[in-house]
Amino acid sequence: MKREIRIDPVTRIEGHAKITIYLDEKGKVEDAHFHVPELRGFEAFCVGRTLWEMPSLTARICGICPISHILASAKAGDAVLAVRVPETATLLRRLMNLGQIVQSHALSFFYLSAPDLLLGWDSDPAARNVFGLWEKDPDLTRRAIRLRSFGQQIIERLGGKRIHPAWAVPGGVNQPLTSDDHHWIAENLPEAIDTIRFTLDLFKSSFVNTEMQGVLGEFPSLYMGLVAADGTWEHYSGGLRIVDQDGKILADQLDPAHYPDVIGEASEAWSYLKFPYYKPLGYPQGMYRVGPLGRINVCDRFGTPLADAELEEFRSHGSPSGRVLDYHYARLIEILAALERIERLLKDERILGTRIRAEAGINALEGVGVHEAPRGTLFHHYWVDEDGVIQRVNLIVSTGQNNLAMNRTVREIASAYIKGGSLSEGILNRVEGGIRAFDPCLSCSVHAVGRMPLELELLGPDGRVLDTVTRG
Amino acid sequence: MDFVIGIGNTLRRDDGVAARVIASLPPVPNVAALAVHQLTPELTLRLCDASRVLFVDAHCHDHEIALQRIAPAPAPVGSVHALSQQDLLGLTVELCGRAPHGWVLSIPGYDFEFGETLSDRTHAHLDAAIEAVVQWMRRQGGEVKMQGGRNEEAS
Repeated sequence: MKREIRIDPVTRIEGHAKITIYLDEKGKVEDAHFHVPELRGFEAFCVGRTLWEMPSLTARICGICPISHILASAKAGDAVLAVRVPETATLLRRLMNLGQIVQSHALSFFYLSAPDLLLGWDSDPAARNVFGLWEKDPDLTRRAIRLRSFGQQIIERLGGKRIHPAWAVPGGVNQPLTSDDHHWIAENLPEAIDTIRFTLDLFKSSFVNTEMQGVLGEFPSLYMGLVAADGTWEHYSGGLRIVDQDGKILADQLDPAHYPDVIGEASEAWSYLKFPYYKPLGYPQGMYRVGPLGRINVCDRFGTPLADAELEEFRSHGSPSGRVLDYHYARLIEILAALERIERLLKDERILGTRIRAEAGINALEGVGVHEAPRGTLFHHYWVDEDGVIQRVNLIVSTGQNNLAMNRTVREIASAYIKGGSLSEGILNRVEGGIRAFDPCLSCSVHAVGRMPLELELLGPDGRVLDTVTRG
Repeated sequence: MDFVIGIGNTLRRDDGVAARVIASLPPVPNVAALAVHQLTPELTLRLCDASRVLFVDAHCHDHEIALQRIAPAPAPVGSVHALSQQDLLGLTVELCGRAPHGWVLSIPGYDFEFGETLSDRTHAHLDAAIEAVVQWMRRQGGEVKMQGGRNEEAS
């Protein structure tokens, strides 16, 4: 008899999702769907507001990655104003984005996923959290909290508050960096670098080159991310690069504003989350991955010594990597790279400048803002009238771009671990863990108010629900 | 150093009452006030060396303003998105070996739907809540007198 298993809601992710696993008559996995049942809204209700409100409005999409939306929105505003953003403002926006990468990656790895990795997939679900991590390794937990706090402090010191700072605006930013804050960041940077190097060593000794490295599946796909003109890892500007499963560059230095030429958006009746794909290969063959694994697979180098040494070691295990667990490996390397970039920015005396905003009126009726959010490439595309009133909005967020790959991941893990239709909490947690590796932000990707429960359903061939497991 | 930490979302009507209280507080030496959406583990870093902490939060039970002493949870179990005040103090004990003395001032909320304004009923409690927090901030010992509310202090 055919059966269907649903995990609803998926836990320890940002937002609300459920997973359905379809079994055939023999109890083997036939298919799997990662559903996002949240409703979207921001693209619709931003219409009629002004361009200058957009950074603050779109920041409200999410409480975890508001900085990503503020920066993408401000960049789209730059394009509409057709201004050259002052150098200091660009450096400060870069600093803010690097702080965001550090705090968001630290949250994803230490708080949400490390309990699975360090306590075990089959450990007590009640202990698979930051408190369980504390019991297992108090020193690591203390370091993790301080590392995330370091990233948050950069945001707070630049923007005035950690969440939803009204700081980046079309044309620049509205507050410079003070000498005191510059000093604080520089003083605390060495501890942050020490923590991430310690964590990378721990991760590599536990997972790399072990059978655990394949625990979340491995499959080919395309990869996409921004790179600098010379192919160096980039997070704020640069051009789009897309590589295939063999590392062959399919497209390079694409102007991000021309994303519709290469990215199509499909939809399915069973999810509110869109399915972006690489247009030349069609849907769904054009599946690509973004985020830490996407970026590390497309760049030539990080351009900083410690991260480049880690990149060389990462690639010694096969490049590009299609292993889902390597999202975590890449995430840790990116934290190190971000910290090195912060160090470099602090040494640039222009960062303490006070010319931080270019003022202008509406000089273009359309603008695209793109940068690398922690979870992947983020696109804000606005159309305005002569008064700067928003006429249309298109947002393509990282989580949506990983949608096809997340569905494939669920299918891979379920096929590997679910035999004869038998289930255990540990198997369900592996399926969820595969999703968690992508660090999906569903509040962003469907532009909805986020909730975070999880449900699993088992259905018969006639669609009848045979069993349901609900958490949260 | 003492801390006053207001908890809540200003876009969810009465849930934002604590942020209103924090914004209305006068400066008091050696007391820091901050408003947060939710309690997160990073706050332990601020509380490690603090003497006292007062959490201000909206509650949805139908009783008046209440000031309560709280103790650290012996075995904190919250998630990173939803730490209770007791969990946060418990985590502070775990990470720092100690935690500040804790209080919670809860203010009744009646409407938690979308919106940036308080309901009339919660707004009516605002002045008394601010006064209670100011008393707590200035207190060097002795009982905090509540106006029209409940004081469940153990001191």
